[in-house]
Amino acid sequence: MTAETTIERRRAGRAPRTKGRADRSTVLTVGMLAAAAYFLLPLFWVLVASSKTSADLFSTFGLWFSGDFALFDNIGKTVTYDGNVFLRWMGNTLLYAVTAAGGGALLASLAGYGFAKYRFKGNRTMFMIVLGAVMVPTTALAIPTYLLFSRLGLADTPWAIILPSLINPFGLFLMTVYVQSAVPDSLVEAGRIDGAGEFRIFFQVTLRLLAPGFATVLLFTLVNTWNNYFLPLIMLNDPDLYPITVGLARWQGQAAAAGGASGDLVPLVVTGSLLSIIPLIIAFLFLQRYWQSGLVTGAVKQ
Amino acid sequence: MNPRISRRAGLAAALASPLALAACGRHTVDPPANVTQDQIDEAMRTPTELNFWTWVPGIEKEVALFEKAYPDITVDVVNAGQGNPHYAKLRTALRAGNGAPDVAQLEFQMIPSFAITEDLLDLRPYGAGELADQFVEFAWSQVSGTDGEVWAIPQDTGPMGMLYRNDIFEAHGIEVPATWDDFAESAARLHEADPEVYLTNFAPAQGAFFAAMLWQAGANPFGGSAGPELHVDLTSPEAERVARFWGDLSEQDLISVDADFTDPWYQALNSGKYATWVAPAWAPSFLTSAAASTAGLWRVAPLPQWEAGQEVSSNWGGSTSAVMATTRNPIAAAVFAQFINTDRKSTETMANEQFLYPPTNAILEDPTFTGQQLDFYGGQEVNALFADISTTVAEDFQWSPIQEKVYADFTDTVGTAVANKEDAVAAMEDWQARIKEYAEYQGFTVRQS
Amino acid sequence: MTATAQRQRAEAPARRGRPNRSGRAGYLFVAPFMIVFTAMFLVPLIYAAYFSFFREQLVGGTVFVGFENYTRAFGDEQLWTGVGRVGLFFLLQVPIMLVLALFFALALDTGLVRLARFARLSIFVPYAVPGVIAALMWGYLYGPDFGPFAQLAEKIGVSAPDFLGADLMLGSIANIVFWEFTGYNMVILFAALRAVPNELYEAAAVDGAGPWRIAWSIKVPALRGALMVCLIFSVIGSFQLFNEPNLLQGLAPTVIDSAYTPNLYAYNLAFVGQEYNYAAAVSFILGLVILVGSYVFMFLTNRRSRS
Repeated sequence: MTAETTIERRRAGRAPRTKGRADRSTVLTVGMLAAAAYFLLPLFWVLVASSKTSADLFSTFGLWFSGDFALFDNIGKTVTYDGNVFLRWMGNTLLYAVTAAGGGALLASLAGYGFAKYRFKGNRTMFMIVLGAVMVPTTALAIPTYLLFSRLGLADTPWAIILPSLINPFGLFLMTVYVQSAVPDSLVEAGRIDGAGEFRIFFQVTLRLLAPGFATVLLFTLVNTWNNYFLPLIMLNDPDLYPITVGLARWQGQAAAAGGASGDLVPLVVTGSLLSIIPLIIAFLFLQRYWQSGLVTGAVKQ
Repeated sequence: MNPRISRRAGLAAALASPLALAACGRHTVDPPANVTQDQIDEAMRTPTELNFWTWVPGIEKEVALFEKAYPDITVDVVNAGQGNPHYAKLRTALRAGNGAPDVAQLEFQMIPSFAITEDLLDLRPYGAGELADQFVEFAWSQVSGTDGEVWAIPQDTGPMGMLYRNDIFEAHGIEVPATWDDFAESAARLHEADPEVYLTNFAPAQGAFFAAMLWQAGANPFGGSAGPELHVDLTSPEAERVARFWGDLSEQDLISVDADFTDPWYQALNSGKYATWVAPAWAPSFLTSAAASTAGLWRVAPLPQWEAGQEVSSNWGGSTSAVMATTRNPIAAAVFAQFINTDRKSTETMANEQFLYPPTNAILEDPTFTGQQLDFYGGQEVNALFADISTTVAEDFQWSPIQEKVYADFTDTVGTAVANKEDAVAAMEDWQARIKEYAEYQGFTVRQS
Repeated sequence: MTATAQRQRAEAPARRGRPNRSGRAGYLFVAPFMIVFTAMFLVPLIYAAYFSFFREQLVGGTVFVGFENYTRAFGDEQLWTGVGRVGLFFLLQVPIMLVLALFFALALDTGLVRLARFARLSIFVPYAVPGVIAALMWGYLYGPDFGPFAQLAEKIGVSAPDFLGADLMLGSIANIVFWEFTGYNMVILFAALRAVPNELYEAAAVDGAGPWRIAWSIKVPALRGALMVCLIFSVIGSFQLFNEPNLLQGLAPTVIDSAYTPNLYAYNLAFVGQEYNYAAAVSFILGLVILVGSYVFMFLTNRRSRS
C-alpha cells in the first residue's frame, strides 16, 4: 500500500495533468473493468461450478449458483479423496514450481546480463542457438527425450521436471531486453572503478534494478511449471510424484471412465482446479510489488 | 538384447539404430514350455514386488486379497493414466527398457497392438489355458491369440444393450424397438413429435461404438489377420449396411451427432435430448452418476436386431490384465493376473464395488449379482439382462494390430461423414484406404477383399 | 534481435578498455544457463534429429533412411494445409492481442485507472488457469445447445452462431488464445515500462506533455525490445499451436481433425500412429518454417521502422 501511494505521489508530481484521484479517467476505468469482466468470466464459472453437486452440475444454468451450495462440501471431498492425495500433489507442484521459478529466474537474469553487457566470442551464436531451439516444437519429441532421460536415470524422478523447467528461453530474452533498458553502462563502470568484482556488481547493484524483470520471469516460470502437464505426464509414472495437473487429469479420466465407477469425480476436478489456481493468484499479488521498483533506477542514479 | 531387433533386423542394424540406445537395458523372458507347480510354489514364496498399472479406482481391495493369499508378494498399484495416455506411457516405458510394469490393464481392442510388438507374455505356460471355462465365451476368445496364445485375463466386459428413457417413450407412445428398422421408424416419429428430442446420439469420434455396431452386424473387418499379415474389409455388405443405416438417420436429421463424454453431452443426457443411449453393460452404473438428475426414468433393453427374432449382441469396452514380456517375475505376475480376475471374493468385489461388469460365469450366474434391483432403472434387474446378453455376443470378432490409428482414421472419415450428413458408405472406402496406406508403411502385408 | 546487435555495436567502444576481463566474466554469467540448456534442451533435440533419419516399423524393425522422412514431409499435403491454417491464425490473432496488451499496459501505467491492481490481476488470471479447465469452460460457453449464448439467442428467437462449427472454429480458438495470453503479454510490457528509467518521463513532463503523449512518443519506443520479444514468441506460439485445438477436439472431433495444426499432426503421428521418426522430421521442418517466418517478420518490421 505504502509503495503504491509513494508512486502515485511521485507520478503526480511529475505529470502535471494527473494531480490527484479526482483526475482519474472514468472512461478508461470503465473500459478496463469491462475488460476485467471478460477475463474473469472463466474464474467465475469455475467458482460457480465448484459450488454445485454433480447432479446440479449438468442440469442447472452454468453461470449462476444452484439451490444446493456445495462448495465447502466439494472442497472437503477434494482434499480428503483417496487418502488426501490432493494435498500430496499440491505439495509436489509447489516443490517443482518454486524450485524451477527461483532457479530459472536466476539463470535467466545471469545469462541475460551476460549477453547484454559483455562482448565475448560466440555471444551472438549462443543467443541464436537458444532462439533456434525454441522454434522446434517438442510435443512430438517426447519419446526420444524420455528414452534419453531414462538412460540418464532421470525419468520418474522430480529432476525430470525441475531441470528442464529451469530453462525458460523466453525469460532469457526478456532479461536481455530489460538489462539493456534498465541497467546503464555507467553504473557498471562506476562499480568497476570502485574495484568491485563483476559478480559483486551484478548481485549488489544490477539485480535490484532488474527487480521488475526478475519478478516477471519468476512469475512466468512459476505459472509454467505449475500448469505444466505434458512433461510430467510423459516423465512420471509414480503417482506419488505427480503434480496437480496430471493428478486432476487422472481424476477427469476416471470420471469419464467407460466402465469405471464415478461421475462423482467431475465436481472434484473442477473444485481441485479452483484450489490449484489460488496459490498462483497469491504469488501474483505478492510479486507485483516488484513492478513498482522501476523507481529505484531513478533513485540510484540521482 | 531386444529379440525383436536381433531377429528381424540383425545385430548391425540394432547397433546403428536409435533404438539401440534404449534396447540394451531391455530384458525379455522366453516363456518356458510349462511351468511346474513346484516352480510356481517356489516363486510365490519368494519375496517379490510386482508393479501393476491400472486405472480402476479402488482396485486396491482386490490387490489386498491377493497379498493376503500370497504374503510374500507385494503389489505396487500405479494409476498411470487412462486409455490413450496409459498406452502411450506403457509403450514408452517398454521401449526405454525400464519403468514398465509387470502387469498392466489393457482393453480388449489393444491386445493385438501390443502382441504385434511382442510386448505381451503368453500365459499358457502358467496355467491360464485351463481358465477358459470360467469365462463367458466371447471374452475368452478376445484374449486368445491367433496361434492359441493367452495374452491376458479378462477383467470386465461391455456387452451391448440399449438404455432408454421410459418417460419419453411413454409420453410419445413409442414401443421399445426390437429391430433396427423399428429403431429408424421410432427415430422419425419421435423427432417429429418433439423436435427437441432425438431417439439417440451418434458420437462421431467414438470408433468403439461403431466397431460394436460392425461386430453385431456380422462384419469382421480384420478377421483372419495374423502377425504381419493384415486383412482389411470395411466394404463388405454387412459393414456397408451399418454405415448406410447411421448415415441415413443423420442425413434425415433424425439423430444428433454430438461428441460423447463432453460437457454438452452430459447436459444433453440430463436434459432429455437423447431418448436412448445404445450402450454396453458398464453404462448403467456410469449413467447413475453422470445423469443423476434423471434417476428412475431410464430402463434397459437388448440391442435392436438386424433381423426380427435374432439375438445377437456385441461388445464395447471392458478390459483385461496382461503380463508384460519384460517382467522379471513372470510367474508371480501371471499368478496375480489370474488371481484378481478369477478369485471368487476378488471378482465379487469388482462386480459389486467397482461396478465392473463381470466376465466370469460364476458371477453372471450368481443371484446376489443378477438379482440386484436398481432404483435408477425403476427397480429393473439390469445385471440379469446383461448377463443374458453376454451369452449372445458373437465370438469371432478380431481387432487390428493398429487399433489406435484405425479409430483415429474412423473419426476423420466415417465419423465426420455421418456428422456432416455426407456419404457414409463412400467414407468407409476412404477409411479402408487410409488403414491400408498406414499399415503398409508400418511393414504389414495388407490383404483386402 | 537486431536491436541487440545495434546496441552492442554502439556500446562497444566504451568497453574496449578492458575486453579480456569483461569477456571472461561474460562466459561465467551465461554458463549456468547454457549448461542446463544444453543438457536439457539441446542434447534431446540433437538426439531427436538423429532419430529423424531412421524409419522404425511395427513389422520389420528399424532402418536408416537418410532424408526420406524430410522429403516425405515436404510433399505431405496434410502438413502444409495445417501450416497455412496456423499462418492465417497468426495474422488473425496476434495483432489484436499485442495491440490490446500494449493498450492495457499503457493504460495501467498512466495511473489514470481506478482499481488498477484489480484490473491487472483480472487480465492476467486466465494465464494461470489450467488448459483443461479453460477448455471445459469455453466448451460450455460455446456450446450449441446449453451454452449461455445459445440459450440467449434462443430466447430472443434467433439462432446462435455455431462457435464450434467449421467456419468459426479458428476464430473461437483465437478467442481462447487471446483470453489466455493477453494478460501475459501485458505483464511483460508493463514490467518493461517499469524498468524504463524515469528521467525520460520527467523531461517530457517538464516540457508539458500529457500522459498519452508521453505514452506514445516516449514509452512505446522504449518498449521496442520487449515488443519484439513478444512478437517473436507469438510467431512461435502461433505456429506451434497445440493445446487449444487438442482440447477442443474432444468437443468438435469432426471439425478439428488429427492434422488441424502442424504440431497436433506431429503429436498424432508420434502417439497415435507410432511414427516417431517421421514425427521428429515434421517437428524440425516446422521449426524451420518458424525460423524463416520470424526472420521475414523481423526483416519487415525493421525496414518499416527505419523508413
